[in-house]
Amino acid sequence: MQQIPVYVFTGFLDAGKTKFIQETLEDPRFNAGERTLLLVFEEGEEEFDFSAYPHDSVFLYTLNQETVTTKELQALAKKHKAQRVVAELNGMQMVGDLYTRFPEDWVVAQEVMFADSTTFMTYNANMRNLVMDKLVGAQMVVFNRLEVGQDTMPYHKIARAANRRIDILYDFTDGSTAFDDVQDPLPFDINAPVIEIKDEDYALWYRDVTEEPEKYRDKTVSFKAQVAMLRRDKNGMFAPGRFVMTCCIDDIQFCGIPCRYEQAQTLESRSWVSVTAKISVEKHTLYQGELGPILTAISVEPAAPAAEEVATF
Amino acid sequence: MTKIDIYSGFLGAGKTTLIKKMIQEGYKGQKLVLIENEFGEIGIDGGFLQDAGINITEMNSGCICCSLVGDFGKALQEVIERFNPDRVIIEPSGVGKLSDVIAAVQKVTGHDVELGYTVAVADASKVKVYMKNFGEFYNNQIETATTIILSRTADMKQEKLDTAVALLREHNADAAMVVTPWEALTGEQLIVAMEGNSVKAEELAHEEEHHCCGHHHHDEEHEEHHCCGHHHHHDEEHEEHHCCGHHHHDEEHEEHHCCGHHHHEHHHDEHCDCGCHDHDHHDHHHHADEVFTSWGVETAKKFTQEQIHEALHILDSGKYGTVLRAKGIIAATDGTWIHFDMVPEEINIRSGAADIIGKLCVIGAQLDEAGVAKLFGV
Repeated sequence: MQQIPVYVFTGFLDAGKTKFIQETLEDPRFNAGERTLLLVFEEGEEEFDFSAYPHDSVFLYTLNQETVTTKELQALAKKHKAQRVVAELNGMQMVGDLYTRFPEDWVVAQEVMFADSTTFMTYNANMRNLVMDKLVGAQMVVFNRLEVGQDTMPYHKIARAANRRIDILYDFTDGSTAFDDVQDPLPFDINAPVIEIKDEDYALWYRDVTEEPEKYRDKTVSFKAQVAMLRRDKNGMFAPGRFVMTCCIDDIQFCGIPCRYEQAQTLESRSWVSVTAKISVEKHTLYQGELGPILTAISVEPAAPAAEEVATF
Repeated sequence: MTKIDIYSGFLGAGKTTLIKKMIQEGYKGQKLVLIENEFGEIGIDGGFLQDAGINITEMNSGCICCSLVGDFGKALQEVIERFNPDRVIIEPSGVGKLSDVIAAVQKVTGHDVELGYTVAVADASKVKVYMKNFGEFYNNQIETATTIILSRTADMKQEKLDTAVALLREHNADAAMVVTPWEALTGEQLIVAMEGNSVKAEELAHEEEHHCCGHHHHDEEHEEHHCCGHHHHHDEEHEEHHCCGHHHHDEEHEEHHCCGHHHHEHHHDEHCDCGCHDHDHHDHHHHADEVFTSWGVETAKKFTQEQIHEALHILDSGKYGTVLRAKGIIAATDGTWIHFDMVPEEINIRSGAADIIGKLCVIGAQLDEAGVAKLFGV
């Protein structure tokens, strides 16, 4: 089946998504006449101007992100023999909810978030779940409407806390732009003989090891965690982990990593343990059958609870 | 008695600015507690609150993206018991539903605690896009509020402002709507609007027929707007006795309404406690209604005195029916407000105080309402 690349633009109303898409489609380097399905899930002040496109190959549909179905999307792609899809998403909806309804042959080629720096901090303080949702999945975020000389670190910190690999572009009111080249070293040494994870760094490490398990292959790690039992692998396995809060008490979830340990049955669920283990990369049902980090215990010792029981970023 | 007022509205709508104005000008002399459930762009600084003798409670337990976290009701109860305030002002999260906040508040209301004003602050320049893209929580704020206060109306194009007002009206036909830039209004005027006591356009020219309780010597400034109308000066003692029957409070107060609005006349005999001893005028008014029609609109449109003069002359000519009386309080293009009165062969146009929204009212026989609307361009 021919795959259809989807270019996704996220962010809140008035963040500059439409303007960017308009300019991109006007650019012959991006618009060489490919049959492009332009899906708009948010109708802001800016409007698309088809007369400025170099080719007559863009097909615009305004859809409801909450209710659109896979069938509808499929039908539109078929009707226009779409070679690619450009989608402007609704900032107040969760990106993932829409992705689950994308037809199978649609592949997200790029996800870019636009953020108006003048409202971003307030939005982040009050709707963190929605802001995080956009940052977490994006390859790039553009912070625009920045004053020349404005401190960009507050934006950097929020973006990188949500997504360590995100590219950040700053767009200033005088028309200049700047790439963010600030490095964020991990707070633990992944080249140490035993990688020591401090209690307050568990969430960060968990995200890093699950995102890039290969980086940790054959390394040894030591961390404090709570015991959870695995439903399928009752024998010789458990999942040490922590309750992690990304945004608020509503999104607290247990983030554990499967760990081989012969005396697993002797452990008491939810009790605190210090785990030292070797990391391998294997397929596991916890990762929907995909590759992920798997631990093999070297030692599991009872431990005192962490000062903050819930881990945060 | 503690009343709990809720100021909802999306982020950046201007809730904090409005609350500040209300504290300075509207809630004079009342003991206040402010509960903030949102991190605003402009915080209300502690110094200001201290000067005003206000206690502030932040209910931000960790993160407030969830509109009401945990034991909101319990926390509210504690605040009331601790401070025993006249008013609790709640600024809820901008992305929460107003109805949810009201439901949470109603768990606490009872003998000594009552739900007060439920306000939605809406950035007029964003109404259209927010409605189109935000869905439920935004519409819920608009639909649930008893007062809708628009912000940033001053620099808007007339057409866009009209569209915003019309959209809001589609979602809430009954709420008092404040369209006039806040600087032009006093906190007291906003309180009158929130109490549901702002005179409606269609009532504007009816005042003579409504005067009934003879209290107007108590409040000369307001006499044309109210008939029993002293209650806004004595809110605390008289609030249960509203008798002029402003419909926004109908649901809660309907058994107390007594004079004035015809759709409640079946209550009059049993429940009138406003001291209106003579109900004849209701009937009279009714009969009058059958002969005369009354046309009224709220409008954000701006006029010049010349335009009004011309329009009133045409009305007086009989072109659109026999006009008995026309009255208006409307914004002028130069930023002032025009008040006008017209009875046959007598036109009075003057400058006056701003109102929360422009209002036009024409009473007449065989009135061509569409023609009149066209004449005023509304």
